[in-house]
Amino acid sequence: MASESSGRTFQEYLEHHLQNLVYGPLPAGHERKFYTKGDDETTKEAYCQSKNLDYDGEKYCKETLTEDGWYLANNKTDVDAMGFWALHIDTMFFSVLLGGLFLFIFAGAAQNFSLDKPTKLQLFIEMMIDFINGVVKGTFKAAQNSLIAPMALTIFFWVLLMNVMDLVPVDLIPYPAELLGVPYLKVVPTTDLNLTAALALSVFVLYLFYSIKSKGFVGFIKSISLHPFGPWMLPANLFIEIIDLIAKPLSLALRLYGNLYAGEMIFLLIAGMVSINLTSFMGLGLNLAGITLSLIWAIFHILIVVLQAFIFMMLTVVYMNMAHEKFEQH
Amino acid sequence: MNLNATLLGQMIAFGLFVWFCWKFVWPPLLAAMEERAEKIEQGLKDSEESAKKILDAEEQSKKMLAEAKKEAKKIMDNAKNQSEKIVEESKNKATEEKNRIVGSAQSEIEKEVVNAKKTLEKDFAASVMSAVKKIVAKEVSISNYQDTVDKSLDDFRK
Repeated sequence: MASESSGRTFQEYLEHHLQNLVYGPLPAGHERKFYTKGDDETTKEAYCQSKNLDYDGEKYCKETLTEDGWYLANNKTDVDAMGFWALHIDTMFFSVLLGGLFLFIFAGAAQNFSLDKPTKLQLFIEMMIDFINGVVKGTFKAAQNSLIAPMALTIFFWVLLMNVMDLVPVDLIPYPAELLGVPYLKVVPTTDLNLTAALALSVFVLYLFYSIKSKGFVGFIKSISLHPFGPWMLPANLFIEIIDLIAKPLSLALRLYGNLYAGEMIFLLIAGMVSINLTSFMGLGLNLAGITLSLIWAIFHILIVVLQAFIFMMLTVVYMNMAHEKFEQH
Repeated sequence: MNLNATLLGQMIAFGLFVWFCWKFVWPPLLAAMEERAEKIEQGLKDSEESAKKILDAEEQSKKMLAEAKKEAKKIMDNAKNQSEKIVEESKNKATEEKNRIVGSAQSEIEKEVVNAKKTLEKDFAASVMSAVKKIVAKEVSISNYQDTVDKSLDDFRK
Protein backbone atom coordinates (compact mmCIF):
# COMPACT_ATOMS: atom_id res chain seq x y z
CA MET A 1 0.00 0.00 0.00
CA ALA A 2 2.49 2.51 1.20
CA SER A 3 5.29 1.39 -1.05
CA GLU A 4 3.77 2.64 -4.28
CA SER A 5 2.27 5.83 -2.97
CA SER A 6 5.40 7.05 -1.26
CA GLY A 7 7.56 6.13 -4.22
CA ARG A 8 9.49 3.41 -2.42
CA THR A 9 10.52 0.04 -3.74
CA PHE A 10 9.19 -3.02 -1.95
CA GLN A 11 12.51 -3.52 -0.23
CA GLU A 12 12.47 0.05 1.00
CA TYR A 13 8.92 -0.49 2.21
CA LEU A 14 10.04 -3.54 4.23
CA GLU A 15 13.05 -1.75 5.66
CA HIS A 16 10.94 1.22 6.52
CA HIS A 17 8.48 -0.93 8.43
CA LEU A 18 11.20 -2.79 10.29
CA GLN A 19 12.92 0.37 11.49
CA ASN A 20 12.05 1.82 14.87
CA LEU A 21 11.53 5.47 15.49
CA VAL A 22 14.85 6.31 17.11
CA TYR A 23 15.70 9.36 19.14
CA GLY A 24 19.33 9.81 20.04
CA PRO A 25 22.46 11.92 20.08
CA LEU A 26 24.20 12.82 16.84
CA PRO A 27 27.70 14.31 16.75
CA ALA A 28 28.65 17.51 14.97
CA GLY A 29 29.72 16.88 11.39
CA HIS A 30 27.19 14.06 10.90
CA GLU A 31 25.39 14.29 7.59
CA ARG A 32 21.63 13.80 7.76
CA LYS A 33 19.55 12.80 4.76
CA PHE A 34 15.86 13.34 4.07
CA TYR A 35 13.72 12.07 1.24
CA THR A 36 12.98 14.80 -1.23
CA LYS A 37 9.72 15.15 -3.11
CA GLY A 38 8.98 15.88 -6.73
CA ASP A 39 8.99 14.30 -10.19
CA ASP A 40 12.11 15.74 -11.75
CA GLU A 41 15.49 17.16 -10.74
CA THR A 42 14.39 20.77 -10.59
CA THR A 43 11.33 20.26 -8.35
CA LYS A 44 13.36 17.96 -6.10
CA GLU A 45 16.08 20.54 -5.77
CA ALA A 46 13.51 23.26 -5.19
CA TYR A 47 11.92 21.15 -2.45
CA CYS A 48 15.26 20.78 -0.70
CA GLN A 49 16.04 24.44 -1.01
CA SER A 50 12.62 25.34 0.41
CA LYS A 51 13.67 23.40 3.53
CA ASN A 52 17.08 25.11 3.59
CA LEU A 53 18.90 21.88 2.70
CA ASP A 54 21.29 20.77 -0.01
CA TYR A 55 20.18 18.39 -2.76
CA ASP A 56 22.37 15.31 -3.34
CA GLY A 57 21.31 14.90 -6.98
CA GLU A 58 19.34 11.69 -6.43
CA LYS A 59 16.71 11.04 -3.76
CA TYR A 60 17.77 12.99 -0.76
CA CYS A 61 18.20 16.40 0.71
CA LYS A 62 21.15 16.53 3.07
CA GLU A 63 22.22 18.56 6.03
CA THR A 64 25.52 18.54 7.91
CA LEU A 65 25.15 19.05 11.63
CA THR A 66 27.19 21.90 13.08
CA GLU A 67 26.88 20.85 16.73
CA ASP A 68 26.07 17.82 18.91
CA GLY A 69 22.43 17.31 19.66
CA TRP A 70 19.56 14.90 20.03
CA TYR A 71 17.61 14.11 16.89
CA LEU A 72 15.03 11.72 15.49
CA ALA A 73 16.85 9.33 13.18
CA ASN A 74 15.83 9.60 9.56
CA ASN A 75 17.65 6.60 8.20
CA LYS A 76 19.97 3.73 9.00
CA THR A 77 23.09 5.93 8.96
CA ASP A 78 21.57 8.19 11.60
CA VAL A 79 20.70 5.17 13.74
CA ASP A 80 24.20 3.75 13.42
CA ALA A 81 25.74 7.08 14.33
CA MET A 82 23.64 7.35 17.49
CA GLY A 83 25.17 4.29 19.14
CA PHE A 84 23.96 2.91 22.45
CA TRP A 85 22.33 6.00 23.92
CA ALA A 86 19.48 6.01 21.48
CA LEU A 87 15.89 5.44 22.45
CA HIS A 88 13.20 3.69 20.47
CA ILE A 89 10.41 6.19 20.97
CA ASP A 90 7.74 4.00 19.37
CA THR A 91 8.61 0.94 21.45
CA MET A 92 8.67 2.99 24.62
CA PHE A 93 5.45 4.79 23.74
CA PHE A 94 3.36 1.78 22.79
CA SER A 95 4.68 -0.48 25.54
CA VAL A 96 4.09 2.08 28.27
CA LEU A 97 0.70 2.92 26.78
CA LEU A 98 -0.35 -0.74 26.74
CA GLY A 99 1.11 -1.49 30.15
CA GLY A 100 -0.64 1.58 31.48
CA LEU A 101 -3.88 0.42 29.89
CA PHE A 102 -3.53 -2.98 31.54
CA LEU A 103 -2.81 -1.49 34.95
CA PHE A 104 -5.54 1.13 34.54
CA ILE A 105 -8.17 -1.50 33.79
CA PHE A 106 -7.07 -3.87 36.52
CA ALA A 107 -6.53 -1.19 39.16
CA GLY A 108 -9.92 0.26 38.26
CA ALA A 109 -11.51 -3.14 38.70
CA ALA A 110 -9.76 -3.54 42.05
CA GLN A 111 -11.03 -0.13 43.13
CA ASN A 112 -14.63 -0.75 42.06
CA PHE A 113 -14.70 -4.38 43.11
CA SER A 114 -18.23 -5.41 43.96
CA LEU A 115 -18.78 -8.56 45.99
CA ASP A 116 -22.44 -8.90 45.15
CA LYS A 117 -22.90 -7.29 41.75
CA PRO A 118 -19.82 -7.92 39.62
CA THR A 119 -19.69 -6.32 36.19
CA LYS A 120 -18.73 -8.42 33.18
CA LEU A 121 -15.31 -6.79 33.12
CA GLN A 122 -14.83 -7.68 36.76
CA LEU A 123 -15.82 -11.26 36.09
CA PHE A 124 -13.30 -11.43 33.27
CA ILE A 125 -10.60 -10.00 35.49
CA GLU A 126 -11.48 -12.40 38.28
CA MET A 127 -11.22 -15.22 35.80
CA MET A 128 -7.78 -14.03 34.75
CA ILE A 129 -6.62 -13.63 38.34
CA ASP A 130 -7.87 -17.11 39.07
CA PHE A 131 -6.13 -18.46 35.99
CA ILE A 132 -2.79 -16.84 36.83
CA ASN A 133 -3.13 -17.84 40.46
CA GLY A 134 -3.77 -21.42 39.39
CA VAL A 135 -0.73 -21.47 37.13
CA VAL A 136 1.50 -19.95 39.79
CA LYS A 137 0.22 -22.25 42.54
CA GLY A 138 0.68 -25.26 40.28
CA THR A 139 4.20 -24.34 39.22
CA PHE A 140 5.77 -22.23 41.89
CA LYS A 141 6.07 -24.62 44.82
CA ALA A 142 9.56 -24.05 46.14
CA ALA A 143 8.70 -21.20 48.50
CA GLN A 144 6.31 -18.40 49.29
CA ASN A 145 6.80 -15.20 47.35
CA SER A 146 4.06 -12.64 46.92
CA LEU A 147 5.86 -11.09 43.94
CA ILE A 148 5.60 -14.05 41.60
CA ALA A 149 1.86 -14.03 40.88
CA PRO A 150 1.52 -10.28 40.22
CA MET A 151 4.64 -10.40 38.09
CA ALA A 152 3.19 -13.30 36.11
CA LEU A 153 -0.04 -11.37 35.66
CA THR A 154 1.82 -8.26 34.51
CA ILE A 155 3.98 -10.21 32.09
CA PHE A 156 1.08 -12.13 30.63
CA PHE A 157 -1.16 -9.15 30.00
CA TRP A 158 1.51 -6.71 29.01
CA VAL A 159 3.08 -9.09 26.53
CA LEU A 160 -0.35 -10.15 25.30
CA LEU A 161 -1.46 -6.58 24.66
CA MET A 162 1.80 -5.75 22.91
CA ASN A 163 1.52 -8.90 20.79
CA VAL A 164 -2.05 -8.06 19.88
CA MET A 165 -0.73 -4.89 18.24
CA ASP A 166 0.62 -7.29 15.62
CA LEU A 167 -2.95 -7.96 14.51
CA VAL A 168 -3.48 -4.31 13.69
CA PRO A 169 -3.03 -3.96 9.91
CA VAL A 170 0.60 -3.12 9.23
CA ASP A 171 0.02 0.28 7.64
CA LEU A 172 -2.96 1.42 9.70
CA ILE A 173 -0.95 3.43 12.21
CA PRO A 174 2.47 3.99 10.56
CA TYR A 175 1.06 5.42 7.31
CA PRO A 176 -1.04 8.24 8.84
CA ALA A 177 1.81 8.89 11.26
CA GLU A 178 4.20 9.29 8.33
CA LEU A 179 1.84 11.78 6.73
CA LEU A 180 1.98 13.68 10.01
CA GLY A 181 5.77 13.72 9.81
CA VAL A 182 6.83 10.73 11.91
CA PRO A 183 9.60 9.15 9.80
CA TYR A 184 9.34 5.62 11.22
CA LEU A 185 6.88 3.79 13.41
CA LYS A 186 6.81 0.23 14.66
CA VAL A 187 3.63 -0.36 16.59
CA VAL A 188 4.43 -3.85 17.92
CA PRO A 189 6.81 -3.38 20.84
CA THR A 190 7.51 -7.12 21.11
CA THR A 191 9.11 -7.07 17.64
CA ASP A 192 11.80 -4.90 19.20
CA LEU A 193 14.59 -7.01 20.67
CA ASN A 194 15.21 -4.25 23.20
CA LEU A 195 11.88 -4.88 24.83
CA THR A 196 12.01 -8.66 24.91
CA ALA A 197 15.60 -8.51 26.12
CA ALA A 198 14.62 -6.02 28.81
CA LEU A 199 11.90 -8.35 30.08
CA ALA A 200 14.19 -11.36 29.91
CA LEU A 201 17.04 -9.52 31.65
CA SER A 202 14.73 -8.29 34.41
CA VAL A 203 13.54 -11.85 34.94
CA PHE A 204 17.14 -13.03 34.87
CA VAL A 205 18.17 -10.46 37.47
CA LEU A 206 15.36 -11.65 39.70
CA TYR A 207 16.44 -15.23 39.01
CA LEU A 208 19.97 -14.50 40.16
CA PHE A 209 18.73 -12.49 43.14
CA TYR A 210 16.41 -15.20 44.43
CA SER A 211 18.92 -17.95 43.62
CA ILE A 212 21.52 -16.30 45.78
CA LYS A 213 18.95 -15.35 48.41
CA SER A 214 17.58 -18.86 48.84
CA LYS A 215 20.77 -20.88 48.33
CA GLY A 216 23.20 -18.37 49.77
CA PHE A 217 26.11 -17.12 47.69
CA VAL A 218 28.17 -20.23 48.41
CA GLY A 219 25.20 -22.44 47.68
CA PHE A 220 24.66 -20.68 44.38
CA ILE A 221 28.30 -21.13 43.40
CA LYS A 222 28.05 -24.76 44.43
CA SER A 223 24.90 -25.21 42.38
CA ILE A 224 26.69 -24.13 39.21
CA SER A 225 30.00 -25.82 39.90
CA LEU A 226 29.31 -29.18 41.60
CA HIS A 227 26.47 -30.10 39.37
CA PRO A 228 25.70 -32.25 37.32
CA PHE A 229 28.93 -34.35 37.39
CA GLY A 230 30.22 -33.87 40.91
CA PRO A 231 33.29 -32.00 42.19
CA TRP A 232 35.80 -33.96 40.09
CA MET A 233 34.48 -32.44 36.90
CA LEU A 234 34.28 -28.86 38.13
CA PRO A 235 35.29 -27.10 34.88
CA ALA A 236 32.81 -29.13 32.85
CA ASN A 237 30.11 -28.40 35.40
CA LEU A 238 30.82 -24.70 35.31
CA PHE A 239 30.82 -24.71 31.54
CA ILE A 240 27.50 -26.51 31.31
CA GLU A 241 25.80 -24.61 34.09
CA ILE A 242 26.89 -21.20 32.87
CA ILE A 243 25.61 -21.97 29.40
CA ASP A 244 22.40 -23.19 31.02
CA LEU A 245 22.21 -19.98 33.00
CA ILE A 246 22.78 -17.69 30.05
CA ALA A 247 20.42 -19.69 27.89
CA LYS A 248 17.55 -18.74 30.15
CA PRO A 249 17.31 -15.00 29.41
CA LEU A 250 18.55 -15.54 25.88
CA SER A 251 15.87 -18.07 25.02
CA LEU A 252 13.20 -15.97 26.75
CA ALA A 253 14.15 -12.84 24.81
CA LEU A 254 14.74 -14.47 21.44
CA ARG A 255 11.69 -16.73 21.49
CA LEU A 256 9.26 -13.87 21.93
CA TYR A 257 11.16 -11.53 19.64
CA GLY A 258 11.61 -14.14 16.93
CA ASN A 259 8.01 -15.25 16.89
CA LEU A 260 6.58 -11.78 16.75
CA TYR A 261 9.20 -10.41 14.37
CA ALA A 262 8.60 -13.28 11.98
CA GLY A 263 4.85 -12.83 12.29
CA GLU A 264 5.17 -9.15 11.52
CA MET A 265 7.47 -9.91 8.63
CA ILE A 266 4.94 -12.26 7.08
CA PHE A 267 2.22 -9.63 7.44
CA LEU A 268 4.53 -7.18 5.68
CA LEU A 269 5.28 -9.61 2.86
CA ILE A 270 1.58 -10.23 2.37
CA ALA A 271 0.95 -6.48 2.48
CA GLY A 272 3.55 -6.17 -0.29
CA MET A 273 1.36 -8.32 -2.52
CA VAL A 274 -1.62 -6.09 -1.85
CA SER A 275 0.37 -3.01 -2.79
CA ILE A 276 0.58 -3.96 -6.46
CA ASN A 277 -1.79 -1.90 -8.62
CA LEU A 278 -5.29 -3.10 -9.32
CA THR A 279 -5.45 -2.38 -13.06
CA SER A 280 -4.10 -5.68 -14.38
CA PHE A 281 -5.75 -9.06 -14.02
CA MET A 282 -2.59 -10.37 -12.37
CA GLY A 283 -2.55 -7.48 -9.92
CA LEU A 284 -6.17 -8.05 -9.01
CA GLY A 285 -5.50 -11.73 -8.35
CA LEU A 286 -2.51 -10.93 -6.19
CA ASN A 287 -4.53 -8.43 -4.23
CA LEU A 288 -7.27 -10.94 -3.57
CA ALA A 289 -4.69 -13.58 -2.65
CA GLY A 290 -3.00 -11.08 -0.36
CA ILE A 291 -6.18 -10.19 1.44
CA THR A 292 -7.08 -13.86 1.89
CA LEU A 293 -3.60 -14.76 3.10
CA SER A 294 -3.59 -11.81 5.43
CA LEU A 295 -6.83 -12.99 6.97
CA ILE A 296 -5.62 -16.58 7.33
CA TRP A 297 -2.33 -15.50 8.84
CA ALA A 298 -4.09 -13.09 11.20
CA ILE A 299 -6.39 -15.85 12.45
CA PHE A 300 -3.45 -18.18 12.94
CA HIS A 301 -1.50 -15.38 14.54
CA ILE A 302 -4.12 -14.97 17.26
CA LEU A 303 -2.93 -18.32 18.53
CA ILE A 304 0.74 -17.30 18.44
CA VAL A 305 0.02 -13.99 20.14
CA VAL A 306 -1.65 -15.62 23.13
CA LEU A 307 0.66 -18.60 23.20
CA GLN A 308 3.84 -16.51 23.27
CA ALA A 309 2.49 -14.35 26.07
CA PHE A 310 1.57 -17.48 28.00
CA ILE A 311 4.93 -19.13 27.38
CA PHE A 312 6.84 -16.07 28.54
CA MET A 313 4.75 -15.91 31.70
CA MET A 314 4.99 -19.65 32.32
CA LEU A 315 8.76 -19.79 31.85
CA THR A 316 9.18 -16.83 34.17
CA VAL A 317 7.28 -18.68 36.87
CA VAL A 318 9.28 -21.86 36.21
CA TYR A 319 12.57 -19.96 36.45
CA MET A 320 11.44 -18.26 39.64
CA ASN A 321 10.58 -21.65 41.05
CA MET A 322 14.05 -22.96 40.13
CA ALA A 323 15.60 -19.91 41.74
CA HIS A 324 13.82 -20.58 45.01
CA GLU A 325 14.82 -24.22 45.18
CA LYS A 326 17.39 -25.10 47.80
CA PHE A 327 20.67 -26.51 46.57
CA GLU A 328 20.72 -30.28 46.73
CA GLN A 329 23.59 -32.61 46.04
CA HIS A 330 22.44 -35.13 43.45
CA MET B 1 18.12 -3.85 15.11
CA ASN B 2 20.47 -2.65 17.78
CA LEU B 3 20.38 -3.04 21.47
CA ASN B 4 20.40 0.44 22.93
CA ALA B 5 19.15 2.58 25.77
CA THR B 6 15.61 1.36 25.03
CA LEU B 7 16.64 -1.79 26.87
CA LEU B 8 17.25 0.19 30.06
CA GLY B 9 14.07 2.19 29.59
CA GLN B 10 12.06 -0.97 29.16
CA MET B 11 13.62 -2.57 32.22
CA ILE B 12 12.62 0.46 34.26
CA ALA B 13 9.12 0.42 32.79
CA PHE B 14 8.80 -3.31 33.47
CA GLY B 15 10.01 -2.84 37.04
CA LEU B 16 7.50 -0.06 37.64
CA PHE B 17 4.63 -2.02 36.13
CA VAL B 18 5.40 -5.12 38.17
CA TRP B 19 5.82 -3.04 41.31
CA PHE B 20 2.50 -1.29 40.73
CA CYS B 21 0.71 -4.55 40.04
CA TRP B 22 2.35 -6.13 43.08
CA LYS B 23 1.34 -3.31 45.41
CA PHE B 24 -1.94 -1.95 44.07
CA VAL B 25 -3.58 -4.44 41.74
CA TRP B 26 -2.98 -8.00 42.82
CA PRO B 27 -3.52 -7.85 46.60
CA PRO B 28 -6.88 -6.00 46.59
CA LEU B 29 -8.25 -8.17 43.79
CA LEU B 30 -7.15 -11.39 45.41
CA ALA B 31 -8.34 -10.24 48.84
CA ALA B 32 -11.73 -9.29 47.43
CA MET B 33 -12.04 -12.63 45.66
CA GLU B 34 -11.07 -14.50 48.80
CA GLU B 35 -13.55 -12.45 50.77
CA ARG B 36 -16.29 -13.39 48.38
CA ALA B 37 -15.30 -17.06 48.49
CA GLU B 38 -15.51 -16.87 52.27
CA LYS B 39 -18.85 -15.10 52.06
CA ILE B 40 -20.26 -17.78 49.79
CA GLU B 41 -18.95 -20.51 52.04
CA GLN B 42 -20.43 -18.77 55.07
CA GLY B 43 -23.72 -18.29 53.23
CA LEU B 44 -23.92 -21.97 52.39
CA LYS B 45 -23.09 -22.91 55.95
CA ASP B 46 -25.69 -20.47 57.25
CA SER B 47 -28.40 -21.76 54.96
CA GLU B 48 -27.61 -25.31 55.97
CA GLU B 49 -27.77 -24.32 59.60
CA SER B 50 -31.02 -22.46 59.17
CA ALA B 51 -32.53 -25.44 57.37
CA LYS B 52 -31.55 -27.56 60.34
CA LYS B 53 -33.00 -24.95 62.66
CA ILE B 54 -36.28 -24.98 60.77
CA LEU B 55 -36.42 -28.77 61.10
CA ASP B 56 -35.68 -28.47 64.79
CA ALA B 57 -38.34 -25.84 65.21
CA GLU B 58 -40.87 -27.99 63.40
CA GLU B 59 -40.11 -30.92 65.63
CA GLN B 60 -40.29 -28.75 68.67
CA SER B 61 -43.60 -27.28 67.62
CA LYS B 62 -44.96 -30.79 67.08
CA LYS B 63 -43.77 -31.78 70.49
CA MET B 64 -45.27 -28.69 72.02
CA LEU B 65 -48.56 -29.29 70.26
CA ALA B 66 -48.70 -32.87 71.54
CA GLU B 67 -47.90 -31.70 75.02
CA ALA B 68 -50.55 -29.02 74.85
CA LYS B 69 -53.09 -31.58 73.73
CA LYS B 70 -52.13 -33.82 76.62
CA GLU B 71 -52.39 -30.93 79.00
CA ALA B 72 -55.77 -29.94 77.64
CA LYS B 73 -57.02 -33.49 78.01
CA LYS B 74 -55.75 -33.60 81.54
CA ILE B 75 -57.46 -30.33 82.34
CA MET B 76 -60.69 -31.52 80.81
CA ASP B 77 -60.50 -34.79 82.73
CA ASN B 78 -59.84 -32.90 85.91
CA ALA B 79 -62.76 -30.63 85.27
CA LYS B 80 -65.02 -33.61 84.63
CA ASN B 81 -63.86 -35.26 87.82
CA GLN B 82 -64.33 -32.10 89.73
CA SER B 83 -67.81 -31.54 88.40
CA GLU B 84 -68.74 -35.11 89.12
CA LYS B 85 -67.41 -34.71 92.59
CA ILE B 86 -69.34 -31.50 93.06
CA VAL B 87 -72.51 -33.09 91.79
CA GLU B 88 -71.94 -36.07 94.06
CA GLU B 89 -71.20 -33.86 96.99
CA SER B 90 -74.27 -31.72 96.42
CA LYS B 91 -76.31 -34.87 96.03
CA ASN B 92 -75.01 -36.15 99.33
CA LYS B 93 -75.63 -32.83 100.98
CA ALA B 94 -79.16 -32.74 99.62
CA THR B 95 -79.83 -36.27 100.83
CA GLU B 96 -78.45 -35.39 104.21
CA GLU B 97 -80.52 -32.26 104.32
CA LYS B 98 -83.57 -34.22 103.31
CA ASN B 99 -82.86 -36.85 105.93
CA ARG B 100 -82.35 -34.17 108.50
CA ILE B 101 -85.57 -32.41 107.56
CA VAL B 102 -87.49 -35.65 107.38
CA GLY B 103 -86.02 -36.73 110.74
CA SER B 104 -86.92 -33.54 112.48
CA ALA B 105 -90.42 -33.69 111.02
CA GLN B 106 -90.81 -37.26 112.18
CA SER B 107 -89.68 -36.42 115.71
CA GLU B 108 -92.05 -33.49 115.65
CA ILE B 109 -94.81 -35.78 114.56
CA GLU B 110 -93.90 -38.31 117.19
CA LYS B 111 -93.93 -35.60 119.84
CA GLU B 112 -97.30 -34.47 118.54
CA VAL B 113 -98.52 -38.06 118.65
CA VAL B 114 -97.31 -38.48 122.23
CA ASN B 115 -98.91 -35.20 123.20
CA ALA B 116 -102.11 -36.18 121.46
CA LYS B 117 -102.05 -39.56 123.16
CA LYS B 118 -101.54 -37.93 126.52
CA THR B 119 -104.37 -35.51 125.98
CA LEU B 120 -106.51 -38.26 124.57
CA GLU B 121 -105.69 -40.44 127.54
CA LYS B 122 -106.58 -37.72 130.00
CA ASP B 123 -109.78 -36.85 128.17
CA PHE B 124 -110.75 -40.48 127.78
CA ALA B 125 -109.98 -41.33 131.41
CA ALA B 126 -111.97 -38.35 132.57
CA SER B 127 -114.94 -39.25 130.36
CA VAL B 128 -114.71 -42.90 131.35
CA MET B 129 -114.52 -41.89 134.94
CA SER B 130 -117.48 -39.65 134.64
CA ALA B 131 -119.38 -42.36 132.81
CA VAL B 132 -118.38 -44.92 135.36
CA LYS B 133 -119.27 -42.56 138.18
CA LYS B 134 -122.65 -42.09 136.69
CA ILE B 135 -123.13 -45.84 136.27
CA VAL B 136 -121.78 -46.61 139.64
CA ALA B 137 -123.76 -43.93 141.27
CA LYS B 138 -126.71 -45.59 139.85
CA GLU B 139 -125.81 -49.14 140.66
CA VAL B 140 -122.99 -49.70 143.11
CA SER B 141 -120.70 -47.78 145.16
CA ILE B 142 -117.48 -46.97 143.38
CA SER B 143 -115.44 -48.54 146.07
CA ASN B 144 -116.52 -52.04 145.04
CA TYR B 145 -115.12 -51.67 141.57
CA GLN B 146 -112.17 -49.46 142.20
CA ASP B 147 -109.68 -52.28 141.58
CA THR B 148 -111.20 -53.31 138.29
CA VAL B 149 -111.27 -49.73 137.12
CA ASP B 150 -107.69 -49.15 138.00
CA LYS B 151 -106.69 -52.39 136.30
CA SER B 152 -108.37 -51.48 133.06
CA LEU B 153 -106.88 -48.08 133.19
CA ASP B 154 -103.52 -49.61 133.49
CA ASP B 155 -104.17 -51.79 130.49
CA PHE B 156 -105.21 -48.84 128.49
CA ARG B 157 -102.10 -47.05 129.42
CA LYS B 158 -100.04 -49.78 128.02
